[in-house]
Amino acid sequence: MRGAFLALLAIPSVATADVERAITDHILPGYEAFEDATLALREVGNCDPVAVEPAYHAAFDAWMGISHIQFGPIEDQNLMLAIAFWPDPKNSTGRALGQLARDADPIVLDPATFAEVSVAARGLFAMERLLAEPPVEGEYLCALLQAVAVDLGRSAEELNGAWTAHAALMRNPGPENPAYRSQEEVERALFTSLATGLEFLHDQRLGRPLGTFDRPRPLRAEARRSRRSLRNVTLSLMALRDLSATLANAPELLAAFDRAIETAEGIDDPAFEGVARPGSRLRIEALQSQVRQIQELTEETFGIEAGFNALDGD
Amino acid sequence: MATRRTFLKGLVASAGLPAASWADAGHPAYLSAAQTPGGGYILCGLRSDGSLTFSLPLPDRGHAAAAHPHVPEAVAFARRPGTFALILDCMTGRVLHRLDAPPGRHFYGHGAFLYEGDLLCTTENDIETGEGRIGLWARAAAYMRVGEIASGGIGPHDILHLPGANLLAVANGGIRTHPDTGREKLNLNTMRPNLTIIGADGSIFDQAALPDDLYQNSLRHLAVNPAGEVACAFQWQGDPFAAPPLLAVYRDGTLTLADMSEAENRALGGYVGSVAHSRDGREIAVTSPRGGVAYCLGPDLRAAAVHRQADVCGVGATWDSFLLTDGLGQVATFGEAAKSSHDLRWDNHLIAI
Repeated sequence: MRGAFLALLAIPSVATADVERAITDHILPGYEAFEDATLALREVGNCDPVAVEPAYHAAFDAWMGISHIQFGPIEDQNLMLAIAFWPDPKNSTGRALGQLARDADPIVLDPATFAEVSVAARGLFAMERLLAEPPVEGEYLCALLQAVAVDLGRSAEELNGAWTAHAALMRNPGPENPAYRSQEEVERALFTSLATGLEFLHDQRLGRPLGTFDRPRPLRAEARRSRRSLRNVTLSLMALRDLSATLANAPELLAAFDRAIETAEGIDDPAFEGVARPGSRLRIEALQSQVRQIQELTEETFGIEAGFNALDGD
Repeated sequence: MATRRTFLKGLVASAGLPAASWADAGHPAYLSAAQTPGGGYILCGLRSDGSLTFSLPLPDRGHAAAAHPHVPEAVAFARRPGTFALILDCMTGRVLHRLDAPPGRHFYGHGAFLYEGDLLCTTENDIETGEGRIGLWARAAAYMRVGEIASGGIGPHDILHLPGANLLAVANGGIRTHPDTGREKLNLNTMRPNLTIIGADGSIFDQAALPDDLYQNSLRHLAVNPAGEVACAFQWQGDPFAAPPLLAVYRDGTLTLADMSEAENRALGGYVGSVAHSRDGREIAVTSPRGGVAYCLGPDLRAAAVHRQADVCGVGATWDSFLLTDGLGQVATFGEAAKSSHDLRWDNHLIAI
């Protein structure tokens, strides 16, 4: 049985992870690329959407490479939502940006204070909204775009900077280590990232727009305004495959990833509008089933199960 | 009602003096159910340092327990929709009594003592109608069932005794279930949870609910401080990414929702597993096994500290902090690394004695 939001736990006796490879080949380069891409976005220095969009997409692409690494600095600094506020069922991003625009709030003029605005008005989804459905025009829009870009760049810089120290903690678990008292805890953090990343992909990135057959929800697709819902699914599959490949020698699991990536690349429906049409819906459902197979193989390979209490529901 | 009240008074009068105390059971500070590596189930007594005082077998998966206020007797409840509860002698490990839910009823997994431990009150489902009931059992009469009252709602879960009064606080979760469909939720679009303050004679002293638009916030667990303020912990049945705060405090007849941020609400994953007051009653801890996180809230009902622990659920006050248990067998103090680890899966609740 699977709920909408189950904490998955790795019981790391089944597999032994190559932690060093996961750190040096996956996490550190991923956060570095994210910093580079957000700094490039900040440097665009132009408020014309045509000029900003390529840098926005590059930053989002880079984020997809590490969005599943939700432990360590991003957790310590509570920056997850400030980078990617989604799902957003209450339209908090639209409302928060609308409020800033209506008030022409000067808070956006000072990058130091911008981090105090609603978390929904920050990050990649705020940027997307400003580019696709700007709540205001002219100078204030320009100031908002710049503020969001500067803030995002600073978050990425802080995270990338902090990862050096965090990687050292992961490499040296022990009783005196404040974050990881054993090798098992390090492995658990990595396996759990993989499992929750897959769960998010299945339940949210694919499950949310799919809804039910009788009630598909295309407007719930992730980043549909910038038409990158499918792209996020594909990049997320690639990133999770990459993490799996660093963790263990599991050819069957990697083959399952490859099949799903091939399916995703064969779908021509960038914003998942096709969930509402039976023919195209079928292909997205097929992709979702392939993700489920990956989840099952991952659970077998790494010994991951839902938590005893998380699963209980009482 | 007068007849029942007289009857209850009679039961109180018939109670004898306790022969043994909790000290004789090794001074456990808490009770918790657990699963053993072999797949069996037990009820344990724990000290504040996380060590075990006793461990007694249970016939099936437990949920919460209720500790008698004076004598070392514990009631271990089956997980819902269970139909048994065991009265355990925590000194000898003997099963003193077995309570079976009457025909047409099942337990929800929590219970509380009233009248200095002479009356045990258990949350139950009237399976036919789906109405919540509270079963009444007299300790002096070998825990004979002596009656039942309406709980004031559907799906009563946690229940506790309010200090200084023979009154119960009942968390009517609002969710209808039926044993034929297991734990499936049958009324998510029409549910109406509430907190009911009720006497053992069935007279309702107060009822409180969140605003109508939060009707899918299912009230599940409770904790009370010496001032009689009731911390109410919820489980959100709507979109987990649209969850409101999952903690409210009942004081002066109204429920005040905690002032938690969007990030904190999301971190809880729509699900609080347990709630406890600090010993001085000023702070409240909530746990979420789904988020692997616990928050400590100050008197302003804002999160003052965060604690991360995989599958954390049980929580109880220590003299100056909180003790937390998880499904991996760890016992930790709030904000610190685990202080002890057992080859057990701690189940849901850490009940302070």
